[in-house]
Amino acid sequence: MLAVKNLRKEYTNTVAIDDISFSLQPGKIFGLIGPNGAGKTTTIRVILNIIKPTSGDVLFDGKPMDRSIQNITGYLPEERGLYKKSTVLDVIVYLASLKNLSSHRAVQLATEWLTKLDILDSKNKKIEELSKGNQQKIQFITSVVHDPKILILDEPFTGFDPINQQLIKETILSLASEGKIIVLSTHQMEFAEKLCNDIFLINKGKEVCSGSLSEIKRQYGTQSIKIEYQGDATFLNQNKDVAHLDMYQNYAEIQLNDSINPSLFLRSIVDKIEVKHFSIIEPTLNKIFIDAIKN
Amino acid sequence: MKKALAIAKWEFMEKIKSKAMIISFFLTPLIILGFSILPSVFAEKDEATTQAIGIIDNTQNYFTSLSEKLSEYKLEKNQPRYVVINLFKQNEPIDSLKAEANRNVVKKKIEGYIFLSVNDKKEMLFEYRSLSVGNFNDYRRFEESFNKIRRVREFEKAHIDTALVSHLLNNVELNTVKIDEKGKESSADFKSQYFSSFIFIMILFMVIMISGGMLVRSLVEEKSNRLMEIIVSSCKPDDILKGKILGLSGLTLAQIVVWVLIGVAFAGQGMVMFASFQNLFLLFVYFILGFVLYTAIFVGVGSIVTTEQEAQQITSYLSMITISPLVIMIPAMQNPDSLLIRVFSYIPLTTSGVMILRLNAAPISTLEILATLAELVLSIYLVIKISSKIFRIGILSYGKMPSLAQLFVWLREKE
Repeated sequence: MLAVKNLRKEYTNTVAIDDISFSLQPGKIFGLIGPNGAGKTTTIRVILNIIKPTSGDVLFDGKPMDRSIQNITGYLPEERGLYKKSTVLDVIVYLASLKNLSSHRAVQLATEWLTKLDILDSKNKKIEELSKGNQQKIQFITSVVHDPKILILDEPFTGFDPINQQLIKETILSLASEGKIIVLSTHQMEFAEKLCNDIFLINKGKEVCSGSLSEIKRQYGTQSIKIEYQGDATFLNQNKDVAHLDMYQNYAEIQLNDSINPSLFLRSIVDKIEVKHFSIIEPTLNKIFIDAIKN
Repeated sequence: MKKALAIAKWEFMEKIKSKAMIISFFLTPLIILGFSILPSVFAEKDEATTQAIGIIDNTQNYFTSLSEKLSEYKLEKNQPRYVVINLFKQNEPIDSLKAEANRNVVKKKIEGYIFLSVNDKKEMLFEYRSLSVGNFNDYRRFEESFNKIRRVREFEKAHIDTALVSHLLNNVELNTVKIDEKGKESSADFKSQYFSSFIFIMILFMVIMISGGMLVRSLVEEKSNRLMEIIVSSCKPDDILKGKILGLSGLTLAQIVVWVLIGVAFAGQGMVMFASFQNLFLLFVYFILGFVLYTAIFVGVGSIVTTEQEAQQITSYLSMITISPLVIMIPAMQNPDSLLIRVFSYIPLTTSGVMILRLNAAPISTLEILATLAELVLSIYLVIKISSKIFRIGILSYGKMPSLAQLFVWLREKE
């Protein structure tokens, strides 16, 4: 388990992160989400032991992180780039050697990964000869080739076409199922929503909300329900409990006033129409993100 | 340390394969040879055609002897170097003779003319007049010929034995012999000493400029494409710093080896210059220490720049300092023990260059050698300390270059 406790990082005139705490479990994907300049990169750098926090601790399996954990971390930075004039295999093997992998083993693992991501034929090409998408794949491989226990992915999907986004998504899920601790930092909420078990929303260096995705959705749930029905539902237009109504042929999306309990509301309408389906609409992560940051 | 070696290996292998490096391997020796040897070759090369020289001898005493003497100078294949024309005419005023001669010079009918006269105080006037007054080899010959004639005549007037006179008039040339500390003698003249020092400093300059530039550029690249973040998440900044310095030093050694081989293969004669170094080993030590010092500075400075332009500016300013010893090169060779030179020997940035000059010029006391070496090693240690502090923060800072005040804040920041 990776635990971040009361982390604070100050620079000369600014506080980059202020008293943030969370914990990450093996096999789960942790979404670190926040607008630009929120403190995500600083948090990642502290976890990776690139910079020291002003106060607070990062513990891995109960022990403070030190240089030795650098060999078991993998990092995909948001801005990409590799040694353009060097060959694919050379670059992967070099970066793996910095994680203490022997070059023999590195070549072996690199070949496996190149096969898995379907670019083995580019093995001996120079990086600059590859398409942008394939360069991104190589970069992804450099972050995972040494089989890290902790994997930090900053915007892993940018630059990929939908097919490759799918490939990367599946790869990340399979890495999680192998028991890795994965931090996913992204702006693309639909990916975070699909992939992450836990979410940590950060803004201006401070925690906005955190917890499992379902908890957060409950917490930020708006008073919206969806009903499918038969009968005449026009009475809903005059209902004092309804704040907003979108009515369709045989279903309606209803936003209730704040004080109204959805279950009681359901009870109050079943006499008038035949309700075939009732559900509480969960807010999207995107909406939670925007609402939370605006507030 | 294992990771530092991995970085060193990468830096070495990737750079040695680059086009820039291959060009530098072969182009640099050419540039150095060009700068150091060609000027002297051109300066000594004479105009290889016969020149028409006029003489207006107002004294009417010297024309015959002088023209005989000048016609003794030959070009290749026994062709005369000078054809002498008598421009003196009886009963014509000197001013109009000179005016006519000037016209002939302008029209390039003659290269120039010698004007001989005696002034009111009975002093000899000896002039050479031509369009260009730059060819010192001509003047030397004119002067030598004329003075020889004059002296012989004066001696003859005094009835001194002509055999003795011609014997006395032959100059005895001064030979220079260099004695090293062990008392061993070797013949070495100023010129070979000058050029060998010059070549050594030029090599130091080129090597620092090339590899320093490479280092800064690669740092800028790694910073801008965030590879640095991946590297720094894998190893200590100190390892990165050591690896880079080590890799570049290896690259430099390889370069020098290639240059020496090229030198031996193509310019066997040129390499004779290196024979005038008696302290080759010491020279090498100063060279390497100087190189490492500058590389350590480049690493620190390179980590704070973010654009290619900034990198270029900084590289060229820093490299200029390496050739600054050339400014004091002549005084250093003429008087290797002067205070000025000693002071420069202890300024870390010039120590290597100046000591290379001094070692080549005269023996230096062991104490001074030890002191300067210690000073260099200490400076390297301090520079690496400072550089690594700046490096740690610099490689993760983007955007504007930090101000000096900011740098001091960085230096004070604890790890």
